[in-house]
Amino acid sequence: MSYKTDGSKHIGKDSLIGIPRQQTNPSRWSGKGWDAFVGELGSSGIDVVTEPSKLSLYRSDAGGVATGSCHGVVIARSSEMIADIMRAAQKHRIPVTVKGGGLTTEGESVAFGGLQLDMRGMSKVINIDREDLTVRTEAGIYWHSLAESLRRYGMDYLSAPLNMTSSVGGTLGVGGIDVNSPRLGCSADQAVALKVVTPRGDIVECSEEDNRDLFELVLLGYGQFGIITEATLRIRPFTPITMHYFYYSSLREAMEDLKMLTREDAADYLGILTMLDRAINLLVAFDSDEREKMFFSNWRNKIRGHGEMGFAVRTAAHYLLRPWKLREALYLLDRKRTLLPALSPSHHIASGKIVDRSVVFSRAVWRFWGGRQMVIPDLATSEDKFVDAILKGNEVCKKYFDHYTLYCVGIKLHGKLPRYELSCIPPDAQDFAYGCEFEPMLEGKTYSRDYLQSFKNEIYDIGVEMGTSYYRFGGMMKGYIRRVFGDELVDRYLKMKEKADPSMILNRDVIF
Amino acid sequence: MATSARYHSHYDVIIVGGSFSGAACAKRLVDSGYSTLILEHKKLPRHKPCSGIVSPRGHRFLLENFGPVPDEAVHSPKTCRGVVFHYPSMLSMPMDFHYGPTLHLNRKYSDHWALLQSGADVHERTHLESVEDKGTSVEVIARTEGEHIRYRARYVMGADGPNSTVVRSVYPGYEKTIPWFKVKQYFHERIDCPLDDDYFHFWVHPDLGFYTWSHLRNEGQIVGVGYGAGDDLNKRHERVVSYLEEKHGVRLKPTEKREGSINNFGLSLINRYVFGKGNIIITGQAAGFLNIIAEGMSCALHSGAIAGEATVDALRYNNSIQDTYRKMISSEVKRCSDQWNPFKIIFGNPHEADFMAALKRHSRSDRRRIIRDIWSFLRPWGKYGWGRQIVTQAVFRRLIDAYAPSRWL
Repeated sequence: MSYKTDGSKHIGKDSLIGIPRQQTNPSRWSGKGWDAFVGELGSSGIDVVTEPSKLSLYRSDAGGVATGSCHGVVIARSSEMIADIMRAAQKHRIPVTVKGGGLTTEGESVAFGGLQLDMRGMSKVINIDREDLTVRTEAGIYWHSLAESLRRYGMDYLSAPLNMTSSVGGTLGVGGIDVNSPRLGCSADQAVALKVVTPRGDIVECSEEDNRDLFELVLLGYGQFGIITEATLRIRPFTPITMHYFYYSSLREAMEDLKMLTREDAADYLGILTMLDRAINLLVAFDSDEREKMFFSNWRNKIRGHGEMGFAVRTAAHYLLRPWKLREALYLLDRKRTLLPALSPSHHIASGKIVDRSVVFSRAVWRFWGGRQMVIPDLATSEDKFVDAILKGNEVCKKYFDHYTLYCVGIKLHGKLPRYELSCIPPDAQDFAYGCEFEPMLEGKTYSRDYLQSFKNEIYDIGVEMGTSYYRFGGMMKGYIRRVFGDELVDRYLKMKEKADPSMILNRDVIF
Repeated sequence: MATSARYHSHYDVIIVGGSFSGAACAKRLVDSGYSTLILEHKKLPRHKPCSGIVSPRGHRFLLENFGPVPDEAVHSPKTCRGVVFHYPSMLSMPMDFHYGPTLHLNRKYSDHWALLQSGADVHERTHLESVEDKGTSVEVIARTEGEHIRYRARYVMGADGPNSTVVRSVYPGYEKTIPWFKVKQYFHERIDCPLDDDYFHFWVHPDLGFYTWSHLRNEGQIVGVGYGAGDDLNKRHERVVSYLEEKHGVRLKPTEKREGSINNFGLSLINRYVFGKGNIIITGQAAGFLNIIAEGMSCALHSGAIAGEATVDALRYNNSIQDTYRKMISSEVKRCSDQWNPFKIIFGNPHEADFMAALKRHSRSDRRRIIRDIWSFLRPWGKYGWGRQIVTQAVFRRLIDAYAPSRWL
């Protein structure tokens, strides 16, 4: 017996009023046509890895919550090879899921059957142009590898994601936000030109001048409209940086100061990292002594953050009056003892300046957040909604977890670009958007997916209520896309997707 | 017997029981790429006695995991708006489900559909005879059409309902240690029925039984009763029908069809869940999950999914499945046992319909009558000695923000 269901509706249309989907759990693809597909790739000289022990490496992503299993893996070696794969995949209707660093947290890069295309086979830097200040690189390269290559030529990237084991291609597809973003925007905005393999298997070079429509669809396009195989990115000469911390015990004050400093371009790097909502660390850093001096003469007195000693005295007084919060105080002390040295490691500091920010901002810090599972719901808001959204999200964190961190940054916008339309950039943001990640410290504990999902839903429901956007709205959270962006916009993009990818095989279940 | 059994291929996981918890568990395993077999002792699709009124949380799970529910999988009326509590004082308390109406499932087809959607292999008409944990794998002996078959799997999941063969295999004699209840639903043609057809009706009445309900299905009226096993339910049913006619003006033709099931009410009430040993884990109602007013579908789906996730975790990292499952399942234990927890009911609103808001709509004197009626309804349960355990568990929940895992088998 078989059952027919119309995917466009469900019975009991009046059911679950006001609560459209909160979670998506894609079904594993059936495998129909797989053998013919593999045979066709074989005749083109493309090897498909199918040994179970090797496939098991691809079962999950950095989030560690969604698990899937592909039928086979191809290590990408060239744009031409990927084009062959996509043409065969369209013909045989084989899902293709692209994975770079696999830093997604909602299963976006996890294949639920079909082919997993591992982009890490394309990780060479092709050309560094110190006059034009650009780098051409294959898109499967990790950001920290790119940074190392650039340093050999005295150059540096502009903005990269906080975790630099992300691949360049994956990052350009979703945004890429770090403490540079208040000044420079997201990583995707540093792209000058791209080589893209379309879902139909065409190889297209695109930029703001050539094939602009594709360029805008692929940047922040969540991998729906093409596979980025090469990218030309803006770079700059390397400079060591000086970093300062200011401490707050009020989230609101810290957020307001962050907004003010962002708006007034007071620093080269800006961000907030918190320990619970008790120790809020405003990070301010500079590429030059002049900028640093300007900050201390023009803005230091305007912000309400304390130096380390002043904050320590205030915090000690706070907990002395609240002895029942001793455990919380001990947690903060321990966190300070282990985390802060990682932000200023002596082997990456010279004359008081950080000489390798890629290590400091990424690998050295990430171990304090990452674990077997990572759950990082976020809210991306306009300036007006930022503080309220974060305060609401903070209450949700407290409800679910003993320990958590908030990571907040501003994101400079480069006008009203088409790429921002269906992305983490909220539609009402002007000049700057603001993002906050709500990251529980899972600390090796085991939680059910349902518990973690409930936490994420409560954060995302704030976004629905306030009309914000999200950075991680794909994969398991894709039910929120229509709730946030509305049917008209999503349907318009769906039509474009259907035209570009008739078999709907490229990175399915991520957005549509 | 076991030595002469035909050997069947090895699976990563074998799930015993082709119901919602098994389907949810299978869904997680199959999506993660693990070979999964479901053993179901009946021919599919199989009939299952059940009110079919799934809670909104269960409905959302079906939608988000298996897709839109097909037409065959629901009865008429397709949806149910909420629950009405009726009290001996003749006060009634309608409570709409949060988020709107939910589905009225036809378990024969909804369960089968979910099984098919899970993508697991299914061996129907295959009756479990024994299950033996060999340390690194589990051997299962089953019988189909007179032939014995031997299966082997890394893990086995007991998802075979309250009267679980897997539980009896793992915990011999366990069934004698818990109270059992019989629930029967009787189908009537209607002559006249003033009860609101949009709702599921439940009588909080000590003289009518532990579990007395009525609702519309396919133009007929279901009248259901639940008592301790061994009681004469037909007599109890006659009394309920008379009561409905006398007090509510419900006039029904004599029943033409009845169906019943045996149930393990109370395990979630007193935090006495059964989660298995070694490489065998138990889930769904077999483990004791049952929401208040005996809606077991949503917690079967969720606990089944958690069992699947724990198994995936154990397979991926070679972790202890028992340890992982017991940690993961604690969130579902909270959701389920909170529904029975008096502190949570008064201060927390743990249900999917707002009991306290409905109570507040009554006058102060009516509220007192309702509370008196609820108290009188609880009295017959006293013989099970659960009162102290309920209070102890509720206090524990308050103090450690969890239900004590030490009480789980």
